[in-house]
Amino acid sequence: MTESTGGQTPTNEPRGGMTSAEAAGSIRDRLRSPVDTSEAGNGDDSRGSDITEAAFRQTDSRAELAAHGRDERQHDSASGPVAHAIQEPRKQDLSEAEERSAERKVAALFLLSFVGVIAFVITYFAAPFNFTARNNIYFTPLLALFMALALGGIGAGAVKWAKTLMVDEEAVQDRHGFASDQAEIDATGQAIMQGLEQTGLPRRKLLRNTLLLGAGSLAILPLPLLLDLGPYAHKERALAETAWKKGIRLVRRNGTPVRLGDLALGALETVYPDVPGGVRMADSPTMLIRMRPEELTPRKGREDWSVQGHIAYSVICTHLGCPVKLYEQQTHHLFCPCHQSTFDASNGAKVLFGPAARSLPQLPIYVDADGYFVAGGPYPEPVGPSYWERKS
Amino acid sequence: MTVLGKGAAGTGKWVDDRLGSSNFVRRSLNKVFPDHWSFMLGEIALYSFIILLLTGTYLTLFFDASMKEVVYNGSYIPLKGVTMSEAYASTLRMSFDVRGGLLMRQIHHWAALLFLASIVVHLMRVFFTGAYRKPRELNWVIGTLLLITGILEGFAGYSLPDDLLSGTGLRIASGITQSIPVVGTWASFLLFGGEFPGTAIIGRLYAVHILLIPGVILGLITFHMMMIWYQKHTDFPGPGRTEDNVVGSRMYPVYAAKAGGFFFLVFAVLALLGGLAQINPIWLYGPYDPSQVSAGSQPDWYMGFLDGSTRLMPNIEIHAFSHTIPLNVMLPTVVLPGILFTGLALWPWIEQFLTKDRSYHNLLDRPRDKPVRTALGAMSISFYILLIIGGGNDIIASIFSISVQTITHTLRVAIFVVPPLVYLATKRWCLGLQHSDEELVHHGIESGTIRRLPSGEFVEETVGLPVAYQITLTGVEPSERPILQSGQAPDGPGYGDEHVVAVNGSNGHVVEAAPRPRGFFRDRSVSRKEPLRPEATVPQLETSGKPRAK
Repeated sequence: MTESTGGQTPTNEPRGGMTSAEAAGSIRDRLRSPVDTSEAGNGDDSRGSDITEAAFRQTDSRAELAAHGRDERQHDSASGPVAHAIQEPRKQDLSEAEERSAERKVAALFLLSFVGVIAFVITYFAAPFNFTARNNIYFTPLLALFMALALGGIGAGAVKWAKTLMVDEEAVQDRHGFASDQAEIDATGQAIMQGLEQTGLPRRKLLRNTLLLGAGSLAILPLPLLLDLGPYAHKERALAETAWKKGIRLVRRNGTPVRLGDLALGALETVYPDVPGGVRMADSPTMLIRMRPEELTPRKGREDWSVQGHIAYSVICTHLGCPVKLYEQQTHHLFCPCHQSTFDASNGAKVLFGPAARSLPQLPIYVDADGYFVAGGPYPEPVGPSYWERKS
Repeated sequence: MTVLGKGAAGTGKWVDDRLGSSNFVRRSLNKVFPDHWSFMLGEIALYSFIILLLTGTYLTLFFDASMKEVVYNGSYIPLKGVTMSEAYASTLRMSFDVRGGLLMRQIHHWAALLFLASIVVHLMRVFFTGAYRKPRELNWVIGTLLLITGILEGFAGYSLPDDLLSGTGLRIASGITQSIPVVGTWASFLLFGGEFPGTAIIGRLYAVHILLIPGVILGLITFHMMMIWYQKHTDFPGPGRTEDNVVGSRMYPVYAAKAGGFFFLVFAVLALLGGLAQINPIWLYGPYDPSQVSAGSQPDWYMGFLDGSTRLMPNIEIHAFSHTIPLNVMLPTVVLPGILFTGLALWPWIEQFLTKDRSYHNLLDRPRDKPVRTALGAMSISFYILLIIGGGNDIIASIFSISVQTITHTLRVAIFVVPPLVYLATKRWCLGLQHSDEELVHHGIESGTIRRLPSGEFVEETVGLPVAYQITLTGVEPSERPILQSGQAPDGPGYGDEHVVAVNGSNGHVVEAAPRPRGFFRDRSVSRKEPLRPEATVPQLETSGKPRAK
């Protein structure tokens, strides 16, 4: 017997005589619907059984809808006739007391919502809010709490209502097919081709070509309108140049110039060009670092770009433009917090690690007659991220 | 009839006289929706979007998208007298001087995070259950577009306050735009109205954020919902569920009550988050200043994978013919997401190409039944997670006291090594689960009852699995499971390796037929040696009540 079925339909097999009924029963109970169809009729088990065939019978018929003159596919006739099987009764389906209890619980949740709204309004008007007021930090959390109560009461109530008191159904609905039959597709294709013929477009080459030209050129129409989103003129120069020129002083954020000796050993000062609006310029921030002169390895040809261990680099990362200002005094490493590119300040700000491909541009500096730091010239290369037109 | 009933009937008649809506309304109310917890994930995304529209509209009443410089003189004392943009100042104003403004702002931000998180988890659900298969490929593409537009919308939104963190993000965005060969500088100057930062970007992003992208998202969502409505929702296999029906609760009243209630619950959770969990405290970051930055700069989570790919990329840059191509920027931020999202959108067709399965599917797969697909999905997720970890390498470094360099070097290797391993492990895991399912279906459950045979041997009895559970596991009624000839490798819906479906149950009823798979979704190495489902070779398996022979 087992040979023939290969263990295919175990539950259709009669239970073996030696089976421990208790054990089987307990497992069945755990899984709630263990019954083979032959047993479904047993009084005790019918409640726990799955949807029976009978429960699937359609309560409405396609014919009925067709009588209403509705095209079946188009109007999704299957949606109308819904058969549903009642699930296992819930406790509130069986007991009136349970039902009332469920109703009270839902009502309590709705009531909670009302309480939340009242509390929200009171908080809004009565609770201290202003930044300087005492206990103002409780304002937003309280407001949120009562708002959540107001919204959650309705939400939880509705869900509980649906789950405990509304009909517990398992509705079944037919799906409709999507593909049309070939005749339909052919007829549609024909209609399209016929219409096309009637326009004469396939025959009238002149019309077709001029239409293509006219309509195609419409794509150009918005392009001039984009121009004034720019300006694009001198964009390469704008990217390549900064406000730094020979003779421009290095000033702090508050506009004070930096004098030789102002910086302690190991210090980093962010400096800006001493020009109007220099502090707000995105490409000009520069860092002035002081280290022991013997620690500094100037690049070839740049021996006179630093002054007594003072050296200036662009703050703007050559990778994606973040300010590289996390400075490690002992190792002279400059670290970018955005993507972790690391540069060696003592060695021409060469890349030590990370996605940046180029050294930070170095600003030549010297000290003028008054003892202030001054730029010895512009940056020798464009500052910041790379771009297509960049030469090197 | 009550007054209410009469009123409703009257209104219904009035509308029907003009629109003939009765049939449509009745069909809509009776529409059946299947019930499964995982079907709520997309709902969360939808509700988050509605909440975003509501709170966002409120925020527009107070936000001023201007980069004009002002001196702050509001009630947040630490920033008094600081020069900042009007955008930043108005964000401070709505946070400190508008009662409930901070709450709305934070709900809006949390809702955006939840919107994208639920989209991603919903996408995983759809992927792993094969819900995107014919006829739902178009809806998968729309979903992918929603993910992309959602990410762009989120980025545009959190850039608006013009604080130090988001300003740094915009600086990076301009660098990324510039990295595109030939047109990069043009595009960057077009976006920013000149050289970064200019004075235009906040106003432009505002238009994009509150009008352009929400409009696109709304249109896509509408189309997404209409397709679900027309094609009907997919369903998991189970008793009484076939390719040709939907089993669940009707739209009205139960489904509507549950879904409507769920909207309010999602809103309530977001309200709690918005009031109790601080998000994006821009007053702590300060206004944007190109020369300032803080350590531990992190974008919102959905940008994390791009941040990670950027951090992990080696520093390769091409200089040739007086031009520069910064591959270190372009590859991880332009090319990689381009490939990822294109692949994602085309996946239904890629799978069709590999499996040659072009039949309709309304019943979902259990992930274990499609080992290769599930393994590919797990592999992609592991890749994505590694990128996100890469995006937080500085945070991880400081928490666990590991050097950033070590983490980065490890991840550079891991993103190539780990995903294939995850693929192999997941596939094995799926096959193992299939075998354990098979055990359950064919042997039943261990009953705990030990029986002594006349020979003196002790055996444990098994109890047949409940029919309902069998159907859930195998996808077909027991009577419809194919009866196999000896030595025949069983294929069929009952055995997970679906795609070959030639159900020849006792009633000879053919449910559907599809071409044979070519090994892509099956484990070839196993099936070569032995049938994947070797029940034909194990006739000694016992049904319930019989001892299991040796």
